[in-house]
Amino acid sequence: MAERSFHKEVQDLKIGAGEEFRGEGILAVTKALLQSGISYVGGYQGAPISHLMDVLADAEEILSDLGIHFEASASEASAAAMLAASVNYPLRGAVTWKSTVGTNVASDALASVASSGVMGGCLIVIGEDYGEGSSIMQERSHAFAMKSQIWLLDPRPNLTSIVDMVEKGFELSEASNTPVMLELRIRACHVHGQFTAKDNKRPDFTLRQAMENPVRDYDRVVLPPSNFKHEIEKVEQRWPAAVKFIKDNKLNEFLGGHKGHQGIIVQGGLYNTLMRALKIVGLADIYGNTDVPVYCLNVTYPMIDDEVAGFCVDKKSVLIVEEGQPEYLEQNINTILRRRDIGTKIYGKNVLPMAGEYTGQVIADGLRKFFKKPAAKTPASLSAADQSVLVETVPARPVGFCTGCPERPIFTAMKLVQRKLGDIHVSCDIGCHLFSILPPFNIGNTTMGYGLGWSGASAFNTKSDKRTISSMGDGGFWHNGLTSGVGNAVFNKNDNVLVIVDNGYSAATGGQDILSSRAFNKTKTTNNPISRAIAGLGIKWQRSVNTYDLGAMTKTLTEALTTPEKGPKVILAQSECMLNRERREKPIRNKMIKGGKRIVRSRFGVDPDTCTGDHACIRLSGCPSLSIIDNPDPLREDPVAHVNNDGVGCGVCGEVTHAAVLCPSFYRADLIYNPNVWDKFRAGFRGKVIGFLQARADKKRARHSFGEV
Amino acid sequence: MTKLSPKLSKDKSINIAIIAMGGQGGGGLSKWILDTAQTQGYLAQYTSVPGVAQRTGATIYYIELFPAHLADKQKQKPVLALTPIPGDVDIVIASEMMESGRALMRGFVSAQTTLIASDHRDYSIVEKQEMGDGRRELSKVREMSEKIAAQYICFDMGKAAREAGAVISSVLFGALAGSGALPIARDVFEKTITESGRAVPANLRGFALGYENVQGETKAEIPAKAQDKKPPSASVTLLLDHMKKDFPPRAHAMITAGLKKMVDYQDPDYARLYLERLSEFTSLDSAKKDWRLTRDMARYLALAMSYEDTIRVADLKIRAARFERFRAEVKAAEGQIVNVSEYMHPRLQEVCDILPAWLGKVVLKMRFLNVFFNKGRRITTTRLRGYLLLSLIARRKPARRKSLRYAVETVRITTWSEQVKTAAAHNYDLACELAGLQRLVKGYGDTHERGLKNAAKIMAVIPSFEAQKNAAKQLSTLKIAALKDEDGAALVEALRSVS
Repeated sequence: MAERSFHKEVQDLKIGAGEEFRGEGILAVTKALLQSGISYVGGYQGAPISHLMDVLADAEEILSDLGIHFEASASEASAAAMLAASVNYPLRGAVTWKSTVGTNVASDALASVASSGVMGGCLIVIGEDYGEGSSIMQERSHAFAMKSQIWLLDPRPNLTSIVDMVEKGFELSEASNTPVMLELRIRACHVHGQFTAKDNKRPDFTLRQAMENPVRDYDRVVLPPSNFKHEIEKVEQRWPAAVKFIKDNKLNEFLGGHKGHQGIIVQGGLYNTLMRALKIVGLADIYGNTDVPVYCLNVTYPMIDDEVAGFCVDKKSVLIVEEGQPEYLEQNINTILRRRDIGTKIYGKNVLPMAGEYTGQVIADGLRKFFKKPAAKTPASLSAADQSVLVETVPARPVGFCTGCPERPIFTAMKLVQRKLGDIHVSCDIGCHLFSILPPFNIGNTTMGYGLGWSGASAFNTKSDKRTISSMGDGGFWHNGLTSGVGNAVFNKNDNVLVIVDNGYSAATGGQDILSSRAFNKTKTTNNPISRAIAGLGIKWQRSVNTYDLGAMTKTLTEALTTPEKGPKVILAQSECMLNRERREKPIRNKMIKGGKRIVRSRFGVDPDTCTGDHACIRLSGCPSLSIIDNPDPLREDPVAHVNNDGVGCGVCGEVTHAAVLCPSFYRADLIYNPNVWDKFRAGFRGKVIGFLQARADKKRARHSFGEV
Repeated sequence: MTKLSPKLSKDKSINIAIIAMGGQGGGGLSKWILDTAQTQGYLAQYTSVPGVAQRTGATIYYIELFPAHLADKQKQKPVLALTPIPGDVDIVIASEMMESGRALMRGFVSAQTTLIASDHRDYSIVEKQEMGDGRRELSKVREMSEKIAAQYICFDMGKAAREAGAVISSVLFGALAGSGALPIARDVFEKTITESGRAVPANLRGFALGYENVQGETKAEIPAKAQDKKPPSASVTLLLDHMKKDFPPRAHAMITAGLKKMVDYQDPDYARLYLERLSEFTSLDSAKKDWRLTRDMARYLALAMSYEDTIRVADLKIRAARFERFRAEVKAAEGQIVNVSEYMHPRLQEVCDILPAWLGKVVLKMRFLNVFFNKGRRITTTRLRGYLLLSLIARRKPARRKSLRYAVETVRITTWSEQVKTAAAHNYDLACELAGLQRLVKGYGDTHERGLKNAAKIMAVIPSFEAQKNAAKQLSTLKIAALKDEDGAALVEALRSVS
């Protein structure tokens, strides 16, 4: 069960021609896929297209009604390989993932399908995780398009344009026998807007028809000599076909005015930001009207030489607004003009920054340079001095584990173990557990990619007085860590430690189910334990530990790091992702309380009069519900710890004080809802006796009262 | 240069940036704004970056609203932006003080901006994790916001949300409605909340608090009726008189706090010992120095003399006032049964601490006893067994001044006091800094031992620089370093630089 449910929203996918569709970018993409008559769709979750996978999963019924197969692929590589279905048959298919990391994983299969060429239209929807909010290395997907010859669409970020490009993308793919990538930036994926819908379309040719009437064509297999033919086909047939289709269908747009000797070429995805920047520098209005000629590239690969030359030829200078590096478009445009001996001066990375996101501010600054307008008066007006004061006083807010996260105690345990055994080299993976690198844990040396936690430490497989620890999530494990990490360690006789965070979901990407999820899933097979998988691979030393049992976790880690037993050691750190669990259990609990059932709910707290304000508990836990408040004691200067009541009641804060021998300030309060007779009797009796003793003590204390002032 | 064409329209969108942390309902607030605007004939576009950033980090939600009738008149659709641009944001909503500071830094707040910010704090981990007080002083954020923003609305919306039992987003939504930054009537906003169908009464309460606060409609708090003052008891009056006689008025507040602590911790007799010890410092102090040494020692001597032993902890845990406090803190309903258990981890050391000194010393040597103390215990204070156990320990209070720990602490306090006195003779500021060394000594178990060790390390190097002019400054630097990190890396570095 994913973090966000789209069950309500997916009903909108059923609307027909002429109706207005309102919703998020990714929902619009899904609707466009249905309007295009696809036969199959798959992918792997990851921001910013996680929700696209969630939408598809929640829409599975609607999809199967249309005869569409949805595959929650094991990895981006599996998803890309699925496109092989369109090589021999007129089947339309779409896959999606996070880029560039997902494209890296997929590139083997992508290169193959691009070489074979496709008969049915293939669309790869990539969520470009670049700029603000990104958590990955900053690279461009453009390089993949160029190296494998896959066409790259970069539509203007409004729903009408996006939907239109999805539909046109399939046609382009079929017209040129080439897979097509549709690039969506983070905010475009989540933009809420509207477009006019069409009817959903059942595929003309079905998967079943293909399976029952197999077609084999040696020319389409990537083996000699076909592979050599493919390369020639790419440049002699597929490329010109694509160029013709793009020109005929006017996929790129000539917007703006026709006057002046200065023009702008922009990636479609940046169009809205460019127009706002032009408005800010006084060259456009809110409706996108401008005298400046703008050539908008909804297709950024291939370049249409004639269009580029035609746009540039009558201008003195043209600005290329192209995000990221290297500046492939600028290089390409210069080549086109040079070959045709056109002398237009090309501006781009000389007035705009080479690296980093092109925000409105950045583009506006570049425009001022290009149009030689005076630098911005900063209306925003924070003086440089004020700015530096803020830089110093406003602290950073690094991300961290959620309230009650079961992964937190794993790293608390590591911190405690390091106190005894000294610092340890820790190789991290991709997933929520990567937050261990940040305060307050500061644990982790490198992260090499999804599922690559253990192989990231594989060089350290030599005689040493200390072992290394690697971490990996269950998501990463099934994605490829099973082979690249565990299999690799077994085969190479590794003597180090792997901690697999087995929380039952691909949690970081939004809580999608995986093979080892304990939850029941109607359309997928779950409950395949990791312990059995790694035993099958030959792991002899494995321990399963409940992560909330901090004592056991600390002991097991110590044992794994110090045991004389040789060979790879795997600790399965198990506990369900709290976000998912709360989502499932909270409504049930509330219903039970309302229904009169006896329920005991645990809350936690800190006594401010025994807390001395050292905050060791916070350094060992970092739980958001553990915060600080003013010290109620006028003599003490440091704030005391405080448990906000938004905690889920996991009790890790208490466990930490126990395991680390911290302080007696933590308490657990069990609140009893709908108590039974026995509860009431006991509480009544205790209350009377304790109340009596307390009253007596209060009276005694009152003898030395300071009075009330 | 290209010139601005006169044909260009002057129409503009209303741009709203919301900065909120995960769990504060920023997404829900955006949806409310969107829904409200759409019923009022606005075209609306909204974006956000969900995902990892929401795992306790902050997220920017961005909305652009555009009057549909303008677009109809032009027969054109507006091109709306997906990210806020400095100088181009009309309304900034920040759910927390530090986040409003970040909005300023990013230039979102300009002379055209209505800034709606809650001034409560959700401390960042970098503030919380420090061993002392890592909280940042953010009054500058308020000053700059007032200076720059066209309209600045700032109050504790976290508190209002708690009062309403709602998420903070409802208060922010109310404040937005109240600000008049959107030309939409109150009831239209409220209708959106009602129609959303989720936690409607609570959200309407939160909304009302936000709206009315901005409109200045909040009812002034009726001052509580002055209660009859209860005079202090006879034993305490004696102490207070003693204080008034022997100590300068400037230090009375702090000394009173100290006396209160001493009486609560032990008895009036102990408070007299406190005054006696403290009186040795007044002769070294003067009004010219604002009695700083006396005030500092009043604070730190009280803290040193009220060291946390098992007796103290037990005594605090079993009080009626504490029972009321935890009930309130966990939001127990009136009459609801609440069972409370304490996370205790007494080591052999702590048990010996409260034994008579001679016995404590003997038992402490019996290392084999440690096996009984190697794991934490949960003591249920609301059960008779737990309560009686703790009250049994608390009752050792009269014997405290004969205990092992008391003997140890007395030596420590004497040594420290002597050093302060010696320093005061030649360097007043150094003496004050030395008094404050007690701040490092806090906590229990390992934490307490680390504090003691750090204080001892610092004490040891003082002779190497005490003759220098800036000795006080150097000592202060060392103390700050000692509270910097747990491993003591900063302190080692600082110690190296002085010696």
